Amino acid sequence: MTLQKVAIIGVGQTRFGNIIDKKAEELFAEAFLEAVNDVDKGIDISEIQEVYIGNSGVGGGQLGNFSSLMTDYVGLTGASALRIENACASSGFAMRAAILAVSSGVCDVALAGGEEKMNDTPRNRVRYWLGISGDMEWERLSGMTFAGVFALMAIRHMHEYGTKREHLAMVSVKNHKNGASNPKAHLQRETTLERALASPMIAYPLTLFDCCPISDGASAVIVCKADLAKKYTDTPVYVAGHGGSTDRLSVFQRDDVTSINSSVVAAKRAYKMASVKPEDIDVAEVHDCFTIAEIIAYEDLGFCPKGKGGKLLEEGQTEIGGKIPVNPSGGLKSKGHPVGATGTGQIYEIVNQLRGSVEKKNRQVSGAEIGLTHNTGGSGGTTVVHILKR
Amino acid sequence: MAHVSIPSYWKTLPQRYCLIGMKCKNCGTINFPAREICISCKQKSEFEPKKLSGRGKIYSYTVIAAGSAPPEFSEQEKLAGSFPVAIVELEEGLRICAQITDYEEEDLKIEAEVEAVFRKIYEEDKVIRYGLKFRPVKKRKSLP
Ligand SMILES: [Zn+2]
Repeated sequence: MTLQKVAIIGVGQTRFGNIIDKKAEELFAEAFLEAVNDVDKGIDISEIQEVYIGNSGVGGGQLGNFSSLMTDYVGLTGASALRIENACASSGFAMRAAILAVSSGVCDVALAGGEEKMNDTPRNRVRYWLGISGDMEWERLSGMTFAGVFALMAIRHMHEYGTKREHLAMVSVKNHKNGASNPKAHLQRETTLERALASPMIAYPLTLFDCCPISDGASAVIVCKADLAKKYTDTPVYVAGHGGSTDRLSVFQRDDVTSINSSVVAAKRAYKMASVKPEDIDVAEVHDCFTIAEIIAYEDLGFCPKGKGGKLLEEGQTEIGGKIPVNPSGGLKSKGHPVGATGTGQIYEIVNQLRGSVEKKNRQVSGAEIGLTHNTGGSGGTTVVHILKR
Repeated sequence: MAHVSIPSYWKTLPQRYCLIGMKCKNCGTINFPAREICISCKQKSEFEPKKLSGRGKIYSYTVIAAGSAPPEFSEQEKLAGSFPVAIVELEEGLRICAQITDYEEEDLKIEAEVEAVFRKIYEEDKVIRYGLKFRPVKKRKSLP
């Protein structure tokens, strides 16, 4: 079977944050219209044949036929559409589904996107909803939280590799610095190491500044067959590789909690397909739902050897200007984490990084040619990795 | 939904009340909780119940801060403030996720010896859900 090569021709994203004046479908429409307008030579939306929308269903607004609500509102009625739920990796997997639809030859143009409206939901209900993407029966119902599961990974990582709370805080400081100059970020402000360390404890050793915020937002990506791309845009970005994987849902049943195996496997598959190595990556958006997750991602994605994530931070290698800039958008920590919209939001950022079209120069990784996105669901039950090329 | 129905909870009572693991007849691995396909050899195997000792060591832990507990635990949170949850590695080699109880702060460390105790875990739909927590071994004699 010959697979079609796939190109990204348009990307859009709303501001992530507490967006109280827009309903779910209005948020999605904003991201979708931006992606359509981003196709610089123009596209008739009736050319979009397949639609995949990531949504975790926080609050339970429209759990059934969600994709019809979205396609109806934006004028895509008639296209085949599917809601994809893989917790925080929902739209990363929606992206992969759109790529597969095009590369299989089933359609020429497909849409991937994501949407989540989290702030309309009363706090108690959000708390009810948040812990449900990990193991319910044995972790959550022993009193465990989402932050708590990542705290278990952090404590063990500290024990085995000497990682310190300061390293966690360094992730927060770096990502807030990047997000401070991202006009679409939820928390557009810098922080300091002292402040991050002194912020209230959420799940020891993770403080408030180790946790991403609860955000609303939407994102959208239009893909097409690579040989049609120049018809739509002068600046296509190509999908070089992608991979998805799963791990045991329960963290306590994993052999090693200092690594997320679904990340390791998904990355391996994506690197192989793209014929690139970790050291070839110029810029990456990784899933830093909690600061420890970014450190573990460095190691799982091969940006540094196992256990050396803290050292990579100390050397400043993941800052803009470093060897491998990570989360120039601010990441989930500062840009925000509207669960279902995060994955295609990462694609939005990397596409702009590779085109050199980031709106503020201090956030632009200069000369980036190969970018990577890493999107993890829950505590690592699912992960999807994409590698994009200019 | 973040909810385990009463019938589903009942199905796991041997594990939750008596710490019964299921030993795979194919490869010998103890599966806890029970599975149909063995966690280790991935075969549709037969299993025999095996009572676990309940003794083990803390593999990793965290302390869920007051104000951030899951809603099922908001009563406990109101009474106790923060509470620790750990992954405990049992003598038999498998790991369990459970709360640490009757502890002092210095008991919360990797490798600390703990043992299972039967406790109230949470309440939902007006039904009390019992199960196991772990307490530091050194405390054993001082408790009734
Ligand atoms: Zn077996």
